[in-house]
Amino acid sequence: MAEIKIRNLHKEFGTGADKVVALEDVNLDMGGHVFVSIVGPSGCGKSTLLNILSGIETPTSGSLEITQSGHKAAPGYVFQAARLLPWRTVMDNLLFVQQDKSDETRARCQKYLEMVQLGDKGDKFPGELSGGMQQRVGIARAFSIEPDVLFMDEPFSHLDAITARSLRRELHTMWADTGKTIIFVTHDVGEAVELSNRILVFAQGGRLEDDITVDLDFPRDAADEEVAIAKASVLRKFEEFDLLAT
Amino acid sequence: MIAVVTTMTTEVPAPDRVTQEDIEEAARRKELIIRWISRISGYVVVLGLWEWASGAVLEENLLPGPTRVLQTAVELFQDGKVFPAFGASLSRILLGVFLSFIIGSMIGIITQNRWFSGFFKDAITIGLTSPGLIWVLITALVFGNRWFGPILAIILTTFALVSVNVAEGIGSLPKDTLDMARAFKVNLVDRNRHIVIPHLAPYLFTGLRFSFSIGWKVTVLTEIFTASSGIGFELRIAQILFRQDEVLTWILLFFVFALFLEKVVLQAIEDRFFRWRKEIAST
Amino acid sequence: MTAVATKPPSSSSGTAIPPRRPSSAPMRFIKSPRFARAMFLPAVLVFWLISNKLIENSWDFDSSVLATPREVWDFMWAEVTRDTVAPKDLYETFGISLYRLGIGFSISMILGTTIGLGMGLSRAVNAFFHDWVMALLAMPALAWALFLSLIFGFDNKGPIIAVVLAGIPFVIVNVREGVRSTPRDLFDMSNAFGVPSNKRTRHVLLPSLYPFLFASARYALSIGWKGLVIIELFGGQDGAGWTVKFWYDAHRLHGVIGYSMFFVIFALVMENAILEPISRRVFRWRPSLNSPDIVEEEMDALYDVEELNRELDANLPTGSTQET
Ligand SMILES: Nc1ncnc2c1ncn2[C@@H]1O[C@H](COP(=O)(O)OP(=O)(O)OP(=O)(O)O)[C@@H](O)[C@H]1O
Ligand SMILES: [Mg+2]
Repeated sequence: MAEIKIRNLHKEFGTGADKVVALEDVNLDMGGHVFVSIVGPSGCGKSTLLNILSGIETPTSGSLEITQSGHKAAPGYVFQAARLLPWRTVMDNLLFVQQDKSDETRARCQKYLEMVQLGDKGDKFPGELSGGMQQRVGIARAFSIEPDVLFMDEPFSHLDAITARSLRRELHTMWADTGKTIIFVTHDVGEAVELSNRILVFAQGGRLEDDITVDLDFPRDAADEEVAIAKASVLRKFEEFDLLAT
Repeated sequence: MIAVVTTMTTEVPAPDRVTQEDIEEAARRKELIIRWISRISGYVVVLGLWEWASGAVLEENLLPGPTRVLQTAVELFQDGKVFPAFGASLSRILLGVFLSFIIGSMIGIITQNRWFSGFFKDAITIGLTSPGLIWVLITALVFGNRWFGPILAIILTTFALVSVNVAEGIGSLPKDTLDMARAFKVNLVDRNRHIVIPHLAPYLFTGLRFSFSIGWKVTVLTEIFTASSGIGFELRIAQILFRQDEVLTWILLFFVFALFLEKVVLQAIEDRFFRWRKEIAST
Repeated sequence: MTAVATKPPSSSSGTAIPPRRPSSAPMRFIKSPRFARAMFLPAVLVFWLISNKLIENSWDFDSSVLATPREVWDFMWAEVTRDTVAPKDLYETFGISLYRLGIGFSISMILGTTIGLGMGLSRAVNAFFHDWVMALLAMPALAWALFLSLIFGFDNKGPIIAVVLAGIPFVIVNVREGVRSTPRDLFDMSNAFGVPSNKRTRHVLLPSLYPFLFASARYALSIGWKGLVIIELFGGQDGAGWTVKFWYDAHRLHGVIGYSMFFVIFALVMENAILEPISRRVFRWRPSLNSPDIVEEEMDALYDVEELNRELDANLPTGSTQET
């Protein structure tokens, strides 16, 4: 179980004329068995928030507390770009982030490679895979350490609709079975409504505009009326803020 | 499964904006000071080591120190040896580079034809890769101390650079702009003046600069073997007479001289004429 | 970096050719670029013979100075079969030079990598060495050769130092560039996954430096070789450079040309039989072999130090600038 507590989080890049405010006074509590989606227009600080949560960036001011227990202390992170080591094979890329290289670990890595339908590609170099395949390796890597909290930055946006759909299902199953905390950034409001029980809407300038609870039963189907209505209402808010920002 | 509990807390006090910028400004200043101190200590250490090594590690006659070199330089200038030598070398360089530029451009132009492109392919590869020394020795043997031996050596080592650049420039002529101009019935002269020549000029200039930077080394090398004037000749004489201080001084003078021409004169010309390229590059 | 002003990928050969009328097969063959390329060698030989004649007729030359292609070929064959009047045969000569090249090369790689790492990691170290490295980079091998040959006479030391001095600035500059362009995103990824730092160094930093180290090695070798030949020529008593000088002093043009050909062959063998296979092995993971940021140079003089300098300084992180 992971608990995330964010207070008055502020992040800016550069100084003087180049100053960009990426996050402004964000307050959030997330934790337990939740699937949180973050939506918002491009450049509103979504990736920055994940980077701060995962410790890659430090906030300009504010406080941040992550408590987690489980298999590995580090979170899992699926980056917006795959970020694989080009000089290591797919399997070695997964092993790179493991704490040991025991047979058990290898078997676990293989299992997650198979989950993303790349079970036979372990010996390939990333350069020999398509962009979507690389992205799937990145997903398998994040899953393979079986983290308590998983950050995902638009993981499915480079994939074809069918693969994305099946991976979405896998993701949901995994989340439902393991009780992880997942923070999921996406551009696709439909995806957010389909997967999450909480949607955070960010606006340009890094302001948290809305915090929507989606209280529908899983599995959700885009064709369901309730899901469609929920999607439409989120979309309306999303567009409102987007218009406000520009 | 062992439960590991980690807590990560980051607490950064909200800073006063003004002080934050002040802090950064101070950091920048400190950074600058460190950089200059390091740079100056670099000079002190290298020059100091050199001065110390001359005498302590090797005899002063073999390795003259920086002060000795400076002294010799002043003497050479006072003897009036420097400028005639530079003049002689420079005129060879200029003639060689000029001819190489013309020949290279012509080859660059005719290689637009596929047949000639095939014909000159190996010539250009050889021209780009064969060391100048080879041509220097061959021309020195064949032509002795006739004036065009060195010139030929310069041409042979540098023509390919010009050809490659010219060919590249022609190959990348902005076809769409030319078509646009043709569509607007811009006449041939204006088309060349405003499109073709401005487009080719940087390529020509690059070729010229590269051939110059190779050309001066080749020139000095040829002078060592055959000429009876010029920097290379003076170097050779100093070497034969075992005047190590003069050898070193000539080397450094010619190095400084060439750097000056290459980096100051040619650079200034380039900056002046191709400012538009920089602007494009920066956007 | 190439010797070309800007780098549009289009090659020079493909400009518009007017549609040709259908011609007969032999005509088409004669007009093909492949045929033209094959014609180059015969053309050179003919040109060579004609200019020999011209030179002989226009000046009262000792015609034994000039060489015919035939003589060059015979000379080369004799050298290969160890039938030579030079004091050392081809294999001994190249052995001596290779030995010097090898030692000088190793020193410049080790020393250069150390300094380059320091310069890439610390701005103070960078400022300390920067100007001297740039001066060294612009200094032609010729300059060292004359100077060192006087200091060290016929010793092995002079040639080795010349190789080091010629090669080391390239190693330093490349390694420094490599350190600066280490993949930030991969480091961030490793941090996010809590990968320990020794593992990170081994699997992220080092592999990302390989292309730069390899480029360094290539230039250190090719430029070191040029420097070596020149110093052997001016102040040696053996080695490849000295042997060329031997034929030059003996006024044997075929010797000079023949030996030059051996140089070219030597360079080709080194490139294709040694460096190329190694590079293919090391960069197995890379589908196409062109890393964008490697500071490469074919010829020492092509090196545009100033531009490089400006680029590097522009890349130097100042203050709190962040990478996007
Ligand atoms: N390292 C950095 N240096 C300077 N500015 C940055 C940096 N990282 C992000 N920014 C700026 O911060 C803002 C937020 O960026 P971020 O990457 O978080 O956006 P995003 O919401 O993830 O957008 P997208 O949906 O396009 O991925 C942007 O304006 C961006 O330009
Ligand atoms: Mg993003």
